[in-house]
Amino acid sequence: MATSEAYMRTPTQQAWRRFKRSSSGKAGLIIVGLFVLLAILSPFVMPYDATKDRNLRERLKPPSVEHVMGTDELGRDIFTRVIHGSRISLRVGVFAVGIAVIVGTILGLLAGYFGGRTDMLISWLVDIMLSFPSILLAIAIVAVIGPGISNAMIAVGIVQIPIYARLTRSVVLSLKEQDFVAAAEGLGAGRARIIFRHILPNGLSPLIVQATLSIATAILDAAGLGFLGLGAQPPQPEWGLMISKGFLYFTRAPWISLFPGVAIMVAVLGFNLLGDGLRDALDPRTSR
Amino acid sequence: MKRWIVGLLALSLAFGWASAQTLIYGQSDLPKTLDSSDAQDGNSLRVAYQITETLVAFKPGTVDPIPGLAVSWEASNAAKEWTFKLRKGVKFHDGTPFNAEAVKFNIDRWNDPNNKYRGNKQFVPFTWVFGGFKGDGSIIDRVEVVDEYTVKFYLTDSVGFFPNMLGASYFGLDSPKAVMANPEKYGTPEVGAVGTGPFKFEQWVIGDKVVLKRNDAYWGEKAKVDTLVFRGIPEPASRLAELKAGAIHIANNLSPEDKVTIDADPNLEAVVQKGLNIGYLAFHQKNKPLDDIRVRKAIAAAVDWDAIVDAFYAGLGERATEFVPPAMWGRDGKVPAYSYNPELAKKLLAEAGYPSGFETEIWYMPVSRPYFPAPQPIAETIATYLADVGIKATLKTEDWGTYLSDYDQGKFPMYMLGWSPDYPDPDNYLFTFFGPTSIKTNLGCESAACEEIGQLLVQARTAPDMKTRRELYAKVQRMVHELTLSIPVAHNNPLHAVQKGVAGWVPSPLGSSENLNLVTVK
Amino acid sequence: MTAYAIRRFLSLVPVLFGVSLLVFTFIHLIPGDPAVVMLGERATPESLEKLRKQLNLDKPLFFDVEAAIEERSITALFKSQYFSFVGRILRGNLGESIFTKVDVATELRARFPATFELSVGAMLIALLLAIPAGIMAAVRKDSWLDLSVMTAALVGISMPIFWLGLLLIYLFAVNLHWLPPSGRLDVGVDLNPVTGFYVIDGVLTGNLAATGNALKHLVLPALALGSIPTAVIARMMRGAMLEVMNQDYIRTARSKGLAERVVIWKHALRNAMLPVITVIGLMFGTLLTGAILTETIFNWPGIGKWLYDGIGARDYPIVQGGTLFIATVYVIINALVDLSYGFFDPRIQYR
Repeated sequence: MATSEAYMRTPTQQAWRRFKRSSSGKAGLIIVGLFVLLAILSPFVMPYDATKDRNLRERLKPPSVEHVMGTDELGRDIFTRVIHGSRISLRVGVFAVGIAVIVGTILGLLAGYFGGRTDMLISWLVDIMLSFPSILLAIAIVAVIGPGISNAMIAVGIVQIPIYARLTRSVVLSLKEQDFVAAAEGLGAGRARIIFRHILPNGLSPLIVQATLSIATAILDAAGLGFLGLGAQPPQPEWGLMISKGFLYFTRAPWISLFPGVAIMVAVLGFNLLGDGLRDALDPRTSR
Repeated sequence: MKRWIVGLLALSLAFGWASAQTLIYGQSDLPKTLDSSDAQDGNSLRVAYQITETLVAFKPGTVDPIPGLAVSWEASNAAKEWTFKLRKGVKFHDGTPFNAEAVKFNIDRWNDPNNKYRGNKQFVPFTWVFGGFKGDGSIIDRVEVVDEYTVKFYLTDSVGFFPNMLGASYFGLDSPKAVMANPEKYGTPEVGAVGTGPFKFEQWVIGDKVVLKRNDAYWGEKAKVDTLVFRGIPEPASRLAELKAGAIHIANNLSPEDKVTIDADPNLEAVVQKGLNIGYLAFHQKNKPLDDIRVRKAIAAAVDWDAIVDAFYAGLGERATEFVPPAMWGRDGKVPAYSYNPELAKKLLAEAGYPSGFETEIWYMPVSRPYFPAPQPIAETIATYLADVGIKATLKTEDWGTYLSDYDQGKFPMYMLGWSPDYPDPDNYLFTFFGPTSIKTNLGCESAACEEIGQLLVQARTAPDMKTRRELYAKVQRMVHELTLSIPVAHNNPLHAVQKGVAGWVPSPLGSSENLNLVTVK
Repeated sequence: MTAYAIRRFLSLVPVLFGVSLLVFTFIHLIPGDPAVVMLGERATPESLEKLRKQLNLDKPLFFDVEAAIEERSITALFKSQYFSFVGRILRGNLGESIFTKVDVATELRARFPATFELSVGAMLIALLLAIPAGIMAAVRKDSWLDLSVMTAALVGISMPIFWLGLLLIYLFAVNLHWLPPSGRLDVGVDLNPVTGFYVIDGVLTGNLAATGNALKHLVLPALALGSIPTAVIARMMRGAMLEVMNQDYIRTARSKGLAERVVIWKHALRNAMLPVITVIGLMFGTLLTGAILTETIFNWPGIGKWLYDGIGARDYPIVQGGTLFIATVYVIINALVDLSYGFFDPRIQYR
């Protein structure tokens, strides 16, 4: 009985087993977990109101016991702000990728399943978007819809749409020819039903892996926009914005820029590790 | 003693004892154009000023007009006509003689919208200073060549400070021959500019540097260095880094807070300039409840302006009380500073019907300027003080170009802005901020009192004697304070730094009219 | 092969047409226009209208229906801003900056070499570090070496470039004074540009001091920009090597008793390079076009910073011409990468 159970694992269980074996996956899960926890708990554990925070007497103080990451140009404690910045970056990452996945997947499904003119049109759009440098495209979008964290999120999301459109399209194309889809079609299932019940779930693994890695990219891109002054606006403790403000003081007070950068790096690293781990688990063929 | 040294120096130069020397100037950007009359930014004008010269110049480091390409001038017909005697024997770098025809050519090119040598350029600064183009608001009606070295300007109105206007660095006179040869591309990297100044255009490497060479035939004091190079380094911190690395000799407009860094470096020397600028926080009254004087007074009282000036100007700036800086005439002198009193602020807000505050926006400039060296942190600080009394002010900004075109549209409830003068006269400050049109568009104030301020300034512009002008300007400053139309924040004394051994550099209070021919490099 | 190449390049035409359409639409969607920016503080509705007319901004964006009806001609329909832009491009004229009057082509000629040199520098650093690192990681799979290379690579793709750039400047330029903080060349160094690539120009004109100086300026920005390609290529190299080493022919080669060195360098590496070359090509395209942040931090006079400023100033010709140029370079590189498959792997047959 016990042995037969071992042989009859569901795909999910198999994936979980592979994931547990992946050290990068575990490390990533821990970092991302901490990051999410920080984002959720920080307002309760360490209440902070960025709109009122100022201490002009304590400006530009280097790291000390009192301020472990030093203070910035308004005398604010950088540690507090870095911690609270996690909320912004996490939200940006998740929402931007959400936009990209939803829009991109729909476009990819349409292109892949219907082919013909639909495919040509969508592929044309995707090719156009891909021939722009992504940061330039994001800058242009923000220039049109105005700066701010929500708009930066949208811009970063739009820029990533082509990735998902292409990915989904290729998955659909490879699945379309397979037996279970043909069977469903033979049984007279509607097109929408085939797409959402049969094709989409089977193509989910690469999507999940890509989405995790995309969150990393999205956090970096949003920080880049913040650095250019197009993303989050002061006094929000957004990491990219904090780095750019530190630029003015960087010969005198390098810690202003240093620590938010470390935070970005660790968060992005977490998602990259997690993405690698998920790839090992969900898509064993492509790894090693 | 001093004269003796200068004489020796001149002698050594004459005999070619000094080896080839290069002066490298680091500013925040390369020029946009060397056609000064088409340039709007200090970086373009500073470079152009070395090549082309104005009729009227200013004594280095001051705003006192002195002869430039004109040796003397006098007004007639109640300052409606101005006659300028020109310097003789001056030649443009291309050999074209400088004379009355050349002056007329330049003025006509700017003033007449149908002139065929405009080269599709806009000459926007000309409209700023003179009110428009010919037939469309320009105060210059026509220019007449009286003789080879005399020109006469006929104005549409009396303007007592007309020579000061011509001294603005926009109005460097270009060689007619060079302009006619290529009006479209005159001033671009490929063509450069041709003037009468102490330096000649040599080369402009796009995105990298502009190289000028000494004009050995200069009529005035010949340049001390052979080569003058301008580099564009946008961030003040990077400019300082380049200076520390020894890659440039002069770094201008540094962050005041870097004074300590400069003082600590034995190879560098800080240069603090007497500033003529004003940085202020303006209210646009189209946005409720800022039309309520109690609300504006509450905001003035809610913020500890002294603490802000202390923190962000590092002892180099001074708290402003009026809109004309102390180094300039035309002040009342007794207008008090708004003092920090959050209790009063809360009380005023309650009286105005906003006991728990309201929501508004503060717009801050996306670039640092001499008057606001760190606009964003200053805006953030102001917002925190407002938050203390319940006012929720969102911070906003946009591209500098758009910012400048939007602030007078009523889109910004509160905005930070400032001014470095084009020409040294209180009119250039007060008329710009509170003139009859500006007070409506820039501040959204259409009350009778604002109307009166506008009219007082028109009167002051054309008033015959200094005493009346003085009184009118003082009155305007008192009224502005009483009505709390805008809050003057600071006059900054901008910080620059040079390598030890660089001597003779005097930054101009007007921003770009620097005489770099006087600078020596060790 | 030739037929495929022709088809591949022809397929770029509709894409570039779409790019021109998108750029044009975008830049005109951005609030504010050059007239507003130019007149600045003292603009009036009348002066704005006048200036717009002068700058041809008063014409309809896409189709001039009014003119077409009035003149009763279809061609008048195309007297719009978009079609005059496309018309100019087709005649080989990229236009000139509204503000500085400098030809866009002139700016590109001056700036593209700067961007190209930086990208090549970044790519060289990436290749020198990543390929050996990737191979060694694959050969010693799961060793401490593998682990540290892979960790370093992950850290590499997780760092914001602008932050890394600041750190490098702070450390090597401001504090240690080893390398210059910005620019392409010291002002004191005289160099006659021949190609615009300073490192090469120095060699060509026999001015090795200038080459050295240009290299010194190149190191920090190239390191910052190269961080991501280094990481990506190292990971790719390792993955490709592992994949290849599990193949039958490698096992055969090993069983034939060939030295491990020969197996790895002669058999495995050759076959593993194909996907890596693809990535290198694609990455190079990205480097050429996406260095805005690096160029900003290091004050590098390339295309990225210039385009970014162009957007801020609403300098339509710069943004339109510059972006179209960049997109063209990018899609051409991608097409070349596609075609290079055939070169590196003769087994691939193009239909």
